[in-house]
Amino acid sequence: MAKINNVGLNLGQKIANPFKTSRNSTTNPFKYSNFEGNTLQFADVFEGFEPQKNTGKLKMISSSVAGSMTKLKSLLPESIVNFVNRVREGVSNAWNYAKNTNISDVKGIKTINEVMNADILELGKGISDSVSTLGKGISDKMSFLNKDVREVGKDLSDKMAFLNTDVAETELGKKWNALISKIIPNKITKDKSVDELKAMWEAEIAASTKEAA
Amino acid sequence: MNKNVAEIIDALAAHQDHASIEVLEELGTNSPDNEVREYTSRALVRKNVHDSLKIVIINQGKGINDLSPSVAMSTINEILSLKDKSEVIKILDDTINMHSDEAVKENARSVKSLLALS
Repeated sequence: MAKINNVGLNLGQKIANPFKTSRNSTTNPFKYSNFEGNTLQFADVFEGFEPQKNTGKLKMISSSVAGSMTKLKSLLPESIVNFVNRVREGVSNAWNYAKNTNISDVKGIKTINEVMNADILELGKGISDSVSTLGKGISDKMSFLNKDVREVGKDLSDKMAFLNTDVAETELGKKWNALISKIIPNKITKDKSVDELKAMWEAEIAASTKEAA
Repeated sequence: MNKNVAEIIDALAAHQDHASIEVLEELGTNSPDNEVREYTSRALVRKNVHDSLKIVIINQGKGINDLSPSVAMSTINEILSLKDKSEVIKILDDTINMHSDEAVKENARSVKSLLALS
């Protein structure tokens, strides 16, 4: 009976405090203070962590900006850097060219000078020739306007006469129909007569009956 | 159903000729194939002329009187979807009043009721 009582007592203790054994054997450095309403002391866990109240905000901002700049530089693609170098080189070359070249030798300036020094009568003659040639070309092209409109209509009528013929009767139409009938030998449309359709249907029935047999 | 047969039925349905109705009745509504009978009945209803509608309404075993419910129901649906129902109503009235077969009369009465409700 005493043994039974002891067993019951042990069981009762285990049920009442089931975590007792595990609590005693834990190696958790936070222990149980977190779960028992006590706050964890910062300094105990993070050694050397001290809030630096006197450090200037300026220092923190400057370091974050420097960090961002470094990150940005690493993000720049190589091609942009090359592009900037090429532009810089181009500007330098242009400057050297401008410094060492006589202004009157520049191609565009040279042409302008030649035109400005030419005789004004010669220039006018050239323009006049060009305009008269252009006018003649336009006149030749518009000469059909002098034609009688009935003649034009007749020509047009002759050319469009093919529209009055049945396409199926034309050479092209016949060829087209022959080609279609080769591709689709027995195309069933309402253009076929009732007798033809009936014959085709009867042929289908006969074929299906034969197949079933 | 054979694709060619469907095309033949469509082509006959497009014909205005009375002979096309005769072919549809002879080969289509007498076909042992339910699908062919169904397709033919619908084609006859779509024609919406007296002779074609008469076939699917007054004949026992054809159209709305077909032994196959799917054929009968398809025919009734096609009748209900007609735009001009004047001819079909006329034939239904004649069937209800004058047909000798009570079953055909009853079917015609049911279809007329459905038409009134639709």
